[in-house]
Amino acid sequence: MSNRRTFVKMAALAAAGWSLSRPLAAQMARPRVVVVGGGFGGATVAKYLKLWGGNVDVTLVDRASSHYACILSNLVITGALPISRIQLGYQSLKTNRGVEVLQGEALTVDPVARELTVQVGSGRQTLPYDRLVLSPGVEFTPPVGRYDPVLTPHAWKAGPQTLLLRDRLRAMTANQTFILTIPKSPYRCPPGPYERACAVADYLKRRKRGARVLVLDANAGIQAEPRNFGNAFAGIYKDVLTYVPDSTILSVDSDTGVLVTTQGSFTGDVVNIIPEHRAGQLVIDTGLANDPTGRWAVVDPLTYASVAEPDIHVLGDSQGTGQPKSGHMANSQAKVCADAIIRAFNGETPDPAPVTSSACFSPITSSTASWLTASFQYDPATRTMKRVDASFAEASRPTSDGMQQMFQWADNIFADSFA
Amino acid sequence: MPTDRRSQGRGLRPCLPLVALLAALAGSPASAQSTPPSGRLLAAQCAQCHGTNGRAVGGFESIAGMKANDLYKSLLEMSRRRPENIMDLQARAYTPAQLRLIAEYLATLPRARD
Ligand SMILES: Cc1cc2nc3c(=O)[nH]c(=O)nc-3n(C[C@H](O)[C@H](O)[C@H](O)COP(=O)(O)OP(=O)(O)OC[C@H]3O[C@@H](n4cnc5c(N)ncnc54)[C@H](O)[C@@H]3O)c2cc1C
Repeated sequence: MSNRRTFVKMAALAAAGWSLSRPLAAQMARPRVVVVGGGFGGATVAKYLKLWGGNVDVTLVDRASSHYACILSNLVITGALPISRIQLGYQSLKTNRGVEVLQGEALTVDPVARELTVQVGSGRQTLPYDRLVLSPGVEFTPPVGRYDPVLTPHAWKAGPQTLLLRDRLRAMTANQTFILTIPKSPYRCPPGPYERACAVADYLKRRKRGARVLVLDANAGIQAEPRNFGNAFAGIYKDVLTYVPDSTILSVDSDTGVLVTTQGSFTGDVVNIIPEHRAGQLVIDTGLANDPTGRWAVVDPLTYASVAEPDIHVLGDSQGTGQPKSGHMANSQAKVCADAIIRAFNGETPDPAPVTSSACFSPITSSTASWLTASFQYDPATRTMKRVDASFAEASRPTSDGMQQMFQWADNIFADSFA
Repeated sequence: MPTDRRSQGRGLRPCLPLVALLAALAGSPASAQSTPPSGRLLAAQCAQCHGTNGRAVGGFESIAGMKANDLYKSLLEMSRRRPENIMDLQARAYTPAQLRLIAEYLATLPRARD
């Protein structure tokens, strides 16, 4: 399709009296960006490249025909919301924004030829790019042992996994135990696991007499909103929830529901293991997960270009700038990245002072929610995004207003990323 | 899918000014617009709650087309009062100069219909 566009443009130029040698004709091609991952980072960068970039060709590649947001997914698990509430399609990006959407599995990147190979149905397609943006989210490192994510779902990527955990929770009977394991930071959505613990505790308290939640946290303490979650754990949920910090999983048996941890062995009727995270597989396979842990991509936070491959940008959960891994943050970074790519196509340098932010709303009970927010400014001295401490806080307490704002925020961020 | 654009892609970067010039001469907007309006990128960070281009899809206020001075003053006030809500914290993310850029950019956008 871009061949045709290029041809039309060349024909127009020829008609206008330009005689074009091949190299010149080649340079008239519209700049082409390929984006892998139609989640919060990828959808937003594709949209804003079209919104701001004018004549940039953008192809968005995702393995699925629509994206299931993790945002609000804990409420799908408890049955409070239908799964359709978090299903986000690509139709508006196609028709309203002019993004080409290709459903397929991105397999390999050739950074020298600047081509991405995608498995589409039973065939393969090669997409040439001027810039490639990778926002594939996270990959999980399976725990040691007989681990099976169907028997012990993570529900940390939304979609079928969300429904699996919903059904397991629903099928629980009185006096049973739900175990939730939290991986070492960094993982996506710092408050997310504690939010899930509250959502499950609230559900069990109301629906399953005598059932309990056991939270096994590999970290030394609550990683986000310690006041609100700490109060909830020690207060309204103290009879149904036990929180065990410093409990790293040593081995798992998904068949029996037995977990061996540094704090002893535990058995659950429903076991919700959130495994350790790393960058999306394509980022790793392309050699871009080059931070000291080998798990995340080192990027320039003015552009999100990989320091290893300047034509490849990595944003969202896969990047390793130390900013929190959240959908709000992925959306925020995507705008910085889109702006920088467009400037680069115009021969300009990136904006020297970008700001990014993150916001998470967490239901604490079925009628109240808290929030957490933090923003980041670029620090030229260290070339990093530095948290603006005055902008960092959790809600003073969960409120019903917070719950209302959570849905309003979700509607807006869903639309700002996908519509 | 085309696979024959490799050499074209490779040639793109160093020659961009030429592309822009040619495009301009040919009367085509082919490559690019000029420097993005200042404030646009900063203001885009409001959109997660206040909607793309400042037009909220519901709930939060639409902020497109507000008077620059009014918006600047209220942003400044939010950044200085005792923080009560999430917006008071978000406003603290920016310097006063950045808040002004945001307000001035949003003021240029067409006002959302209610
Ligand atoms: C329970 C829970 C609650 C959360 N709540 C919040 C919240 O309140 N606020 C918030 O801001 N964030 C929240 N998050 C975090 C948020 O979901 C992630 O941080 C965000 O989705 C990251 O965006 P991303 O673009 O990096 O990845 P994703 O949004 O995960 O998108 C990745 C996409 O890439 C696709 N993909 C990956 N590899 C390939 C490939 N090789 N080929 C083709 N397609 C591929 C996937 O199909 C997917 O669609 C929550 C997360 C969880 C788990």
